[in-house]
Amino acid sequence: MIRLAATDVIELSATDLVVATTLVLFAGLASIALRLGLERRLAIGAVRSVVQLLAVGYVLRWVFGLDRGAVVLALCIVMAVVAGHAAVRRPSKTFRGATWRACITLILTGLLTVFVVTCLVISAEPWWRPQYLIPLLGMILGNSLTGISLCLDHLLETLSERRPEIEMELALGATRWEAARDPLAAAVRRGMIPTINSMMVVGIVALPGMMTGQILAGADPLMAVKYQIVVMFMIAAATSLGSIGIALLTYRRLFSHHHQLRSDLILKR
Amino acid sequence: MRGAMRRPRDRTWGFGVDSRSTQPDADTLLSLRGLTVARNGRVLMQPVDLDVQRGEMIAVTGPSGCGKSTLLLTIAGLIDRVDGLVSLDGEDPSDSELDWPTFRRRVVLVQQTPALLDATVRANLERAFAYRTANGSTYSHDDAQRLFDRMRLASAYFSENARTLSVGEQQRLCLIRALLVGPAVLLLDEPTSALDAESADAVEAVLKEEAGWRGLSAIVATHDRAQADRLCDRVIELEASSAGNASGGPGA
Repeated sequence: MIRLAATDVIELSATDLVVATTLVLFAGLASIALRLGLERRLAIGAVRSVVQLLAVGYVLRWVFGLDRGAVVLALCIVMAVVAGHAAVRRPSKTFRGATWRACITLILTGLLTVFVVTCLVISAEPWWRPQYLIPLLGMILGNSLTGISLCLDHLLETLSERRPEIEMELALGATRWEAARDPLAAAVRRGMIPTINSMMVVGIVALPGMMTGQILAGADPLMAVKYQIVVMFMIAAATSLGSIGIALLTYRRLFSHHHQLRSDLILKR
Repeated sequence: MRGAMRRPRDRTWGFGVDSRSTQPDADTLLSLRGLTVARNGRVLMQPVDLDVQRGEMIAVTGPSGCGKSTLLLTIAGLIDRVDGLVSLDGEDPSDSELDWPTFRRRVVLVQQTPALLDATVRANLERAFAYRTANGSTYSHDDAQRLFDRMRLASAYFSENARTLSVGEQQRLCLIRALLVGPAVLLLDEPTSALDAESADAVEAVLKEEAGWRGLSAIVATHDRAQADRLCDRVIELEASSAGNASGGPGA
């Protein structure tokens, strides 16, 4: 059981934030001087990040204050649905019903993983305590949606490109599972690769944002590392479960019970 | 195994819609009843009624685009039929008794464009025995060797990547793979389209021998009337789809 000890946090005032704004101004000046034409986008981006983050801050403060499980759960589902929509927007191909399948996958695998962490690893009381649940779920969904996206992209691409081979296998008496197994495995592998790669280099090439944040917030580095290990494993589990989930749900949709490949259902966007 | 029944040559022009109620007789292996074929929601031809006897070769001819390939895909169940029945020895694969993979193992479709895995020729042939429906049957290298000789393919190819072969060689390789599975009926889509005359003759000879020796049946889609006459006992002429629609087919 690990507990976060937050001491020595330097409070940031509104003035501090205004000073930080000068940092963005430097980027803007560089854009003007070098005629990069990015000033407008930079300004919009800066304003958006301030507005969005403040909004999230107030929502989180409100939810933390309410301390009601149902509200926390509702917020979780909203987060998963938003992530589900983002996940199916990236692949170059799609099919009808891809969005709700991605959402269901993220809701189930995200909640399962976060439950294991808050309830069994961190032992938060109650398990849905929003201070733990929501940031953890956010990290899970952010990574899992990338995995789902890559997995779906790879799977739909393979099923379109390699349709002749797959239909050949079906024509020789393969069941839909036998014909789909290799493309499914390749797609799940594709979805998991970024997570595995980041586990390889974590701490050497990049200091994870969460760990950095905890250290900035005054936590003992070793404590932050322990949290980070939990988070890495949690993300690995969620990404693999998410990739497997979306691959299986896509398989159920695109391979009919007559053991056909329904490539006519795959749409270009 | 003996005595492939050879029916007298007869020509069916179009399809006998009136034979729809006819029950298949006892010698019938594969039976199509009122099979309605569509691609992308458009019905391509009149409902098809056809009985394929053991050892019988039936040619399906017609202009390109009339739906020959789609008809074969529909018989194999890789495309859903709109209506009608397909039965093998009286069993319909849409019933639970005979599932589609088991049906396809006995009624093997060979598509016109060769589809081979990115692996050696031998691995491609062995792959066909990795499925549940192989039901214990295993790859026989001797059988493959014999078919290679009969179809004028060099056996040096066995260890080469199948995709490095010429299209004509790939086409014969796909046919060999289908024959090794030991089907009752072959559905062949333009089986000699990529072959020179000599190789085409060899393929036709093998098919005729298989029909005679072990009663292999086939439905052969071909645009080549001469081949249809040489190879097949019966020729079925499909009309162009516009003509089919004019005579009352749905679709625009």
